[in-house]
Amino acid sequence: MMVDVRLENVVKEFDGVQAVKGIDLHIKHGELFTLLGPSGCGKTTTLRMIAGLDYPTSGKIYFDDQEVTYLPSYERGAVLVFQNYALWPHMTVFDNVAYGLKLKKLPKEEIRKKVEWALELVKLKGFKDRYPTQLSGGQQQRVAIARALVVEPKVLLLDEPLSNLDAKLRLEMRSEIRRIQRELGITVIYVTHDQEEAMAISDRIAVMNMGTVEQVGTPRDIYERPNSEFVASFMGKTNVVPAKVVERNGNTVTVEFESFRLEGLHYEGDKDDVVLVIRPERIKLHPVENAVSIQGIVDLVEYYGFFTEVVGLFGETRIIARTISDREVQELKPTQPVTFYMEREDIIVLPKQL
Amino acid sequence: MKVSRWSERLFGTPLPDGVVMTSFLFPLLYLVGFLVIPVFVMLATAFEYNGQLSAHWFSSIFRSPYYFNPLHPDGYLVKTLIYGGEEVYHFYGWDFGVVINSILVSISVMILTTILGTVFAFIMARYDFPGKNIMRVLLFIPLLVTPFVNVIVVKKMFLPDGIINWIFYEHLHLFPKPIWIDGLVGVIIAQTITYYPIVYLNAYASFINIDPSLEEQAENLGSRGFHLFRTVTFPLALPGIMSGAILVGIFSLEDLAAPIVFQGSPIAKKLMSYQIYSSFVSGFAIGNPQMAALSLVMLFLAVVMFLAVRWYVGLRQYAMLSKGGRWNPRVAKPKWWQALLIAFVAVPVLLITVFPQIGVLLLAFSKSWYGTWPTGFTLDNIKAIVTQPDIERVIINSLMYSTAAVVIIILLSLASSYASNRFKNAKLAPVIDSLATIPIAVPGIVIAMSYFFFFSTVPPFKGSSLDPTNLLEFFPGAALILAYSIRRLPFAARSISAGLQQVHVSLEEAAMNLGAGRWKALMSVIIPMIYLNLFGGAMLSFVYCMSETSVGITLGSINSTWYPITAKMKELIIGAVGSANLAAALGVFLMAVQITAIVIANVITKQRYSFIGLT
Ligand SMILES: Nc1ncnc2c1ncn2[C@@H]1O[C@H](COP(=O)(O)OP(=O)(O)OP(=O)(O)O)[C@@H](O)[C@H]1O
Ligand SMILES: [Mg+2]
Repeated sequence: MMVDVRLENVVKEFDGVQAVKGIDLHIKHGELFTLLGPSGCGKTTTLRMIAGLDYPTSGKIYFDDQEVTYLPSYERGAVLVFQNYALWPHMTVFDNVAYGLKLKKLPKEEIRKKVEWALELVKLKGFKDRYPTQLSGGQQQRVAIARALVVEPKVLLLDEPLSNLDAKLRLEMRSEIRRIQRELGITVIYVTHDQEEAMAISDRIAVMNMGTVEQVGTPRDIYERPNSEFVASFMGKTNVVPAKVVERNGNTVTVEFESFRLEGLHYEGDKDDVVLVIRPERIKLHPVENAVSIQGIVDLVEYYGFFTEVVGLFGETRIIARTISDREVQELKPTQPVTFYMEREDIIVLPKQL
Repeated sequence: MKVSRWSERLFGTPLPDGVVMTSFLFPLLYLVGFLVIPVFVMLATAFEYNGQLSAHWFSSIFRSPYYFNPLHPDGYLVKTLIYGGEEVYHFYGWDFGVVINSILVSISVMILTTILGTVFAFIMARYDFPGKNIMRVLLFIPLLVTPFVNVIVVKKMFLPDGIINWIFYEHLHLFPKPIWIDGLVGVIIAQTITYYPIVYLNAYASFINIDPSLEEQAENLGSRGFHLFRTVTFPLALPGIMSGAILVGIFSLEDLAAPIVFQGSPIAKKLMSYQIYSSFVSGFAIGNPQMAALSLVMLFLAVVMFLAVRWYVGLRQYAMLSKGGRWNPRVAKPKWWQALLIAFVAVPVLLITVFPQIGVLLLAFSKSWYGTWPTGFTLDNIKAIVTQPDIERVIINSLMYSTAAVVIIILLSLASSYASNRFKNAKLAPVIDSLATIPIAVPGIVIAMSYFFFFSTVPPFKGSSLDPTNLLEFFPGAALILAYSIRRLPFAARSISAGLQQVHVSLEEAAMNLGAGRWKALMSVIIPMIYLNLFGGAMLSFVYCMSETSVGITLGSINSTWYPITAKMKELIIGAVGSANLAAALGVFLMAVQITAIVIANVITKQRYSFIGLT
């Protein structure tokens, strides 16, 4: 029953202001697809348009080959799990979960079986007679998921489903959702603003920013090959170093920052003002073959337990290296000279954003 | 698929279904049809002279010293008179003409009720003392509505041989001479006593809702006592107090009970409400366009007051801003001098304001009341409620009209609050919201007047049994039900809208998302979650309908077969000797209805409902 979902140039305006500015997405059968982005970037709005709870100002939405842009929510079968769960407080867990099935006028016995199946799936078997207020946050969340799953949605939509849970429960529920999705093989669109959560759970991610999609790709793509400064800095702690292209040879360039000159980097843009994006964990403090190196002094050493961050000062520029907390690193002291080594493919050159 | 942009603009959704359309169009058409258009018909009458557009009727009002006499007022505020061979202070009032008198009375009542209401609210919100709970209950008694008869008691209390003089002149010797409160001063005192609990309720809620940390911070910085009250507490509570005061101002403007009861002194008739009312009773003036113009002046004043306070309160929403966890209320033991003030000023004043309702009971159970106390205990008046056919008749009429009105009110409130809460982006949402609120600012007598012109001039009503000039066949039921449903709508709508706001939109969206149509989502999710609010709103509006006065004693009193209770009460109090006692019995009946409704509403909904004394 699952479908693939396509958005074509979808725009949503609220009072003349564009909250979603013409996005194109293609979510495939059975995929767990995540919309990731900072608060207010239009994730919920996008999801609600897919669910049929809001309608686009322009653009089209397709489920497989059927256009559903203006299909009312109740005819669409794209079931949303709300951020606040939206459990009906005047119904028991059973009645909440059975609601969608009763609307389909299924026989009583079948409804009972399906509800039990769904509750079992979310590990809430003994809870069917409770009222939502008698459940913990995590349990409520699972009821909401069961309520959505039991109607066998064409696509399951989850809006920050874990944001109301504490850290430990969040991890647990995260793998739970992944497990259920794999077991049932359904198409899931998942919204979050937590990049770590997105990486852990998704087949593919769309990074959104101010109503547009910046990049779509697998978690690895997006982490390792961000296509914009925004994506790079949104996906975890990273160094963003302003630099200038001084020499070009096809897609191979030489850049300068401070007094350093780095040769043989890959760059496809045409602007000369660039940033170098370097993940802290890719910077080594020991010589590596074929690596470029820069010399500076230690500014700060921050101990995090398992790893340690060394902040180096290169001219005016601070660069962070993250490394395993071995004894050598512990002995580094501020103002000592230090050399950072980076492999060329770990230095991503991107056009500077205005 | 075809989607319409205009529908998105109007209804907030490109695909409005039957439920959406109904929830917008039903209240819209109803209120436009039975409030806006009648007012416009009256407007058209008022601006027409000899078949031409003209401000003649307005200028005739403002050029006549009877209506508008700002420079050379007649009358006096207080004068020594001989009454029964004894010198008394006669409180009467200046006569600046009908329009200015109404404004001055309204302002005086606003000021007095604000002082009384705020002081009582502050005492109840901030002090703890023995007997406080008794006081809390007593403060609700003046809210019980007993049209006309409570004013009769007020009038009796303040006669030279009334209870006030009996206590303060004869026994306590606090007055140098007896006092006699009469005329416009009498109207002011009666309205103050009737309406101050409205300010009290608003002020009390405001004081309770002030975040104590705001006051604690001020104290912490060295402010205390009256300075603290003046600089922090009072300004924070002011929006609430103002809303109450303005409501009182509007009620005073439209009040008919006090002028009718005090009409023995001619100046009490020189009020806008009375003038409009009297054009109904004195048949020849009926349909007088000058009265249409006067109604519009009154409507204008009420709407200006209403919009001013809305604007002001909108600017200052801060009193409710800092919510968050529960806090310890700031309640203190009064200091010795405060305790003295409470015991010897506040409590006596409270007892005076409670007395009218007690007096209504006394009146209902007595044969007559001349002089200080009523005489001759009897149950006849109460028995008449179930034995006397004309009394039974009006009770049944009122029950019928009110029940019908309540059904309409609930449907209207549900539809309008659904439309304006759930489709905030719709261009029609603020229209619906305003239409459902504005009846607060439309005086009942103005509605009565506009219905008169509407039903007597606009086809198909003209000449039908709904046409009040069709004296022999006139059936007032429809006009009364319409008027009740529109006048009481804002109060029920507020209760239901509050309930609907508690139901997060996502609960309904979840249902629709799972396959429920809007109707199904409404019935299976929303209604079960707000039925208590519906019930509370129904109780509230039922009580208000039963005690509706302005339309009841005008359009409702044309044909005695179809009198509502209030029309009968008015007939009784201006009628034969001794019939005021029968009116009081009806007052007792209304009080019983109100108390029952409050108790039921509070017990069933487990929420605090209190009624504001609407007439
Ligand atoms: N009903 C609405 N009316 C007006 N503006 C809205 C409405 N809903 C959303 N917006 C605006 O659209 C933009 C995108 O909102 P949206 O809720 O989609 O963000 P989000 O990415 O889900 O953010 P968050 O992570 O905070 O949930 C915001 O600027 C928001 O203010
Ligand atoms: Mg969101």
